[in-house]
Amino acid sequence: MGLGYLTTIGTFVGIYIILTLSLNIISGYAGQVSLGHAAFFGIGAYTSALLTLKVGFSFWLALPAAMIIAGFIGAGVGIISLRIKGDFLAVTTIGINFVIVTVFEYSDFFGGAYGIMGIQYPMLFGLKISKFYYLMLVFFFVVVTAFFCFLISKSWIGLALETIREDEDAAEASGLNCAKFKIIAFAMGCAFAGLAGVLYAHFMRFITPNDFTFPVSITIVAMMVVGGIGTIRGPILGALLMAALPELLRPLANYRLLFYGGLIVFMTRFQPQGLFGENAFIIKKLFGQNLRAAFSKRNRVGGEEI
Amino acid sequence: MTPILRIEDLSKSFGGVKALKTVSLDVGHNEILGLIGPNGAGKTTLFNCVCGVFPPESGRVLLKNKDITRQPTHRIAHLGIGRTFQIVKPFKNLSLERNILASLCKDRTKGLSPIMFGTGLKKHRQEVLRLLNLVGLEEYIDQTPMTLPLGHQKRMEISRALALHPKLLMLDEPFAGLSQEDITPLLQVIKNLRSEGLSILLIEHNIPYVMELCDRLVVLNFGEVLCEGTCEDVQSDSRVIEAYLGS
Amino acid sequence: MLQQVVNGIIIGSLYALIAVGLTMVYGILRILHIAHAAVFVSGAYLGLLVYTYTQSLILALILAAVGCSIFGWLIQRFLYTPLLTEARIVPLIASVGLFILCEDLFRLLGGPYIRAFKVDLWFDKLIFFDTVVTAHQCLIVIGTAACLVSVYFLINRTKLGLAWQATAQDMDTAKAMGVNIKQVINFNFIIASSIAAIAGVLTAINYNSVLPTMGSVPAYKMFAIVVLGGLGSIPGTIAAGLIIGMAETIMSAYFGFIMPRDAIAFSAMILILIFRPQGLFGKGV
Repeated sequence: MGLGYLTTIGTFVGIYIILTLSLNIISGYAGQVSLGHAAFFGIGAYTSALLTLKVGFSFWLALPAAMIIAGFIGAGVGIISLRIKGDFLAVTTIGINFVIVTVFEYSDFFGGAYGIMGIQYPMLFGLKISKFYYLMLVFFFVVVTAFFCFLISKSWIGLALETIREDEDAAEASGLNCAKFKIIAFAMGCAFAGLAGVLYAHFMRFITPNDFTFPVSITIVAMMVVGGIGTIRGPILGALLMAALPELLRPLANYRLLFYGGLIVFMTRFQPQGLFGENAFIIKKLFGQNLRAAFSKRNRVGGEEI
Repeated sequence: MTPILRIEDLSKSFGGVKALKTVSLDVGHNEILGLIGPNGAGKTTLFNCVCGVFPPESGRVLLKNKDITRQPTHRIAHLGIGRTFQIVKPFKNLSLERNILASLCKDRTKGLSPIMFGTGLKKHRQEVLRLLNLVGLEEYIDQTPMTLPLGHQKRMEISRALALHPKLLMLDEPFAGLSQEDITPLLQVIKNLRSEGLSILLIEHNIPYVMELCDRLVVLNFGEVLCEGTCEDVQSDSRVIEAYLGS
Repeated sequence: MLQQVVNGIIIGSLYALIAVGLTMVYGILRILHIAHAAVFVSGAYLGLLVYTYTQSLILALILAAVGCSIFGWLIQRFLYTPLLTEARIVPLIASVGLFILCEDLFRLLGGPYIRAFKVDLWFDKLIFFDTVVTAHQCLIVIGTAACLVSVYFLINRTKLGLAWQATAQDMDTAKAMGVNIKQVINFNFIIASSIAAIAGVLTAINYNSVLPTMGSVPAYKMFAIVVLGGLGSIPGTIAAGLIIGMAETIMSAYFGFIMPRDAIAFSAMILILIFRPQGLFGKGV
């Protein structure tokens, strides 16, 4: 395995970590199942590709622009989620994924089935940055995304999102505007998916509608669930594991997908809270107990455990 | 003096069934008003109409003379009505601390202000402890509601409603399904709240506790106010006995 | 025009057959059963296997149904039932994983290429004026009708069917009323899976092909149909299946190529859900 190969894998893993963390804002914190996250990944990629190629934006300007556009379209899905709930919403998001990919595929503006070619590598100080520095750039954005998620999980808005996940009626009765927070959650999650899309487009330098189809959405959801939904370490480690897994399974060649599917079944069946989630086997082994117990013991005021 | 809550001619129907027919009632200052009536009389529907869960067809709801009819639920919570649910609805996987903090969110998540990304939740631990202390649950602050018995969960809901600093507390069957050892502390909690000056609207089926707590009673039957008055008046009213036992 | 209607009905019948099983599973367990498409494909392969050896279509249908019932039951018993108490997204992902696994398994066992499934019936085609109905299409219509009538009968006229209806309404209440939930769930999966198997065989005959990836489009397109039908409503699902089948055929025949067939179902679904969030035939919330 050459260094260049490892850099490529590393970049993909980083992009998947951003995607999984961003979906976690919507599904893990706010509890809204979205099975169409790849669509926003695609919106980010296409927006950035078109802005740099047709409008002449630089990478650094296209990046925030693509995030904003993906975020706005995500907010639209948030508005839909106010009306369509639960499993209806889950299936609707599959549909949204389909429709958006169809738009990419059948409109000449988006390059049709052949996609968009010749996307530029980002320039820094007038120089094309190397693959290795691109990996560093992706890594930087992974840290930014993870920090943002950490901030959310510790902030008032994070609490508001969690209450919506737990019980919408009770959240409303506690004075929280569920509609507003759902839209915000979708906007934030989709904006970061857009970021991942930008990073993908400028790394691959050519994108096709096929890169953003429903199976990609499912991969993102699977990474999140296998890692441990609702935490930060879960999506990161889940994405790391499952993005690296196909590479690790390479020696199995012909049996790769068989093992991949089998592992998803096995892990969800025996660690349904996720491999690195709240009650995970690995966490218990490492800390001797689950994290919440460890944490609350430190903070206990008095009284005994039931 | 204007009442805390005034309900004027409230009507609501579900697919042709009239759940509420021009119901009017007042809850006075520092008063515990009991709302009783047979199953299906429309008590919880009345609660939900007041709290904005679904809009009434006609009539008005006034909180301290301010019209709150058809406001969204969270607005009504901001304006000063705290409520509990007939079937408890705690935030199951969050610690009691975060359950209570949820009600404190309202001041910090207005509009789109960046304060909502503030992380000063820990600073409010004393306030949360005080609120849990009101219902005698401060020792469970780090546990999740799932690990607590039903009685504790119901008290937690009261504490969560109190965190809104409500002008009026609405309790939907607080004693239903509780054992005697859970009931005694809950009775005490409600009495304490009243002595601190809170007004309470209470739905309850357990008549002995209603008699012990309430200053006045309103009896609802088939969506209409059957009678209202002091506990003694209502107890001796023949229509009430008829409604409960059937004619 | 009539020709397109006939073709639409055929496609729609096949959709309805697959989707009925999905809606039944959802009705009881509230799981989006993506692996149902794997059951569907295994039905096609089993049917082909039996038909190749025996040359008997009846035997192929029966054995495919039996085999898939066992498969469906195993999925239920060892994958879904243990995950029922978890967040709803967990069984969904487990189901997706199983579908990926099965699709690859079919490729390894059956080969990555298309296998023909050629069935000769005792007549070739019927011609009414200028509308052609092939014998295979007749077979599909008869098969679908037989399946749907038996489902109707099983659910409305048997004791277990009544228990099924009660459970679909409210599992906890049904349990409290003494319904044997375990039995209902088994019944549910056996019926749903055997219908999927028959749909698999009929689809294979219709296109004269069996291939490992024949389940990937149904895997998600069926959800659009099930949701349009109101998630859990059997008559709604059948109607939605027929409507989508017709819409796809007629739109691609008459309005030319506006969008790919597979996007029609989802576009229709999104539009309808925005106006009726409980589905076309769902009960009001």
